[in-house]
Amino acid sequence: MSLPVVSGEVKILAENDIVVARRAVREAALYLGFESTDTTRIVTGASELARNIFKYAGTGMMHWRLIKNGDMQGLELKFEDQGPGIANLDQALREGYSSSGGLGMGLPGTKRLMDEMEIKTAQGKGTTIIVRKWKRKV
Amino acid sequence: MSEETISVIKIRDILMVSMPSDPDDPTVAALQEKALKAMERYQAKGLVLDISKVDTLDSYFARILAETTKMISLMGGKTIIAGMQPAVAITATQLGLTLGKVGTALNVDRALDMMSQHPN
Repeated sequence: MSLPVVSGEVKILAENDIVVARRAVREAALYLGFESTDTTRIVTGASELARNIFKYAGTGMMHWRLIKNGDMQGLELKFEDQGPGIANLDQALREGYSSSGGLGMGLPGTKRLMDEMEIKTAQGKGTTIIVRKWKRKV
Repeated sequence: MSEETISVIKIRDILMVSMPSDPDDPTVAALQEKALKAMERYQAKGLVLDISKVDTLDSYFARILAETTKMISLMGGKTIIAGMQPAVAITATQLGLTLGKVGTALNVDRALDMMSQHPN
């Protein structure tokens, strides 16, 4: 007898863990029944946040879990690292890929893809980013 | 981790590559290397990149794509991506990805037509 998988985690230790994180998130999103555009949004957002861990902290962790709010279901992703932290969070939240020429963290864009984003960071103290996407009622 | 390899096909004087659905970073990097080598070897007009199977286009892929397009254009060639999935087009736009000067086509047939009209 197998229990439904409601959470999981992916260690981000090397560049190729980015694709591992994407695929875990895709499976979770499909399991929840997200339609294709939202699945693509979630997976792409996860790819960016996992990539940021690799780029700026070197290593970190992605946790995912199914969440509920009343009769709404969703997916929550948490990206944690013990890296240098985001020195200027305000700037990072304003500087998207289009203004940074594809460089930078892409936080504004990633935030647009998701429904909720929470960031906890401090210089020298690592970063935790939580994003959530809710399944739309069709 | 991925066992996917990129194959560059030559159709007359046009190069074509078909990308797998979720290419990892080394696969994307291999695209650039193989495409440029093939451009030189075959003196091609350019590259048609079939992305109809691609379901994740992230900032790394976008950057390599824009770079490759620039490199191919320095060699006198054109780059066209064909068959972007609607969900990918929506997501890439929302994410704010820019693809440089790459041409776009709805499908490979149209991309090949566009390419044969390209002066070289």
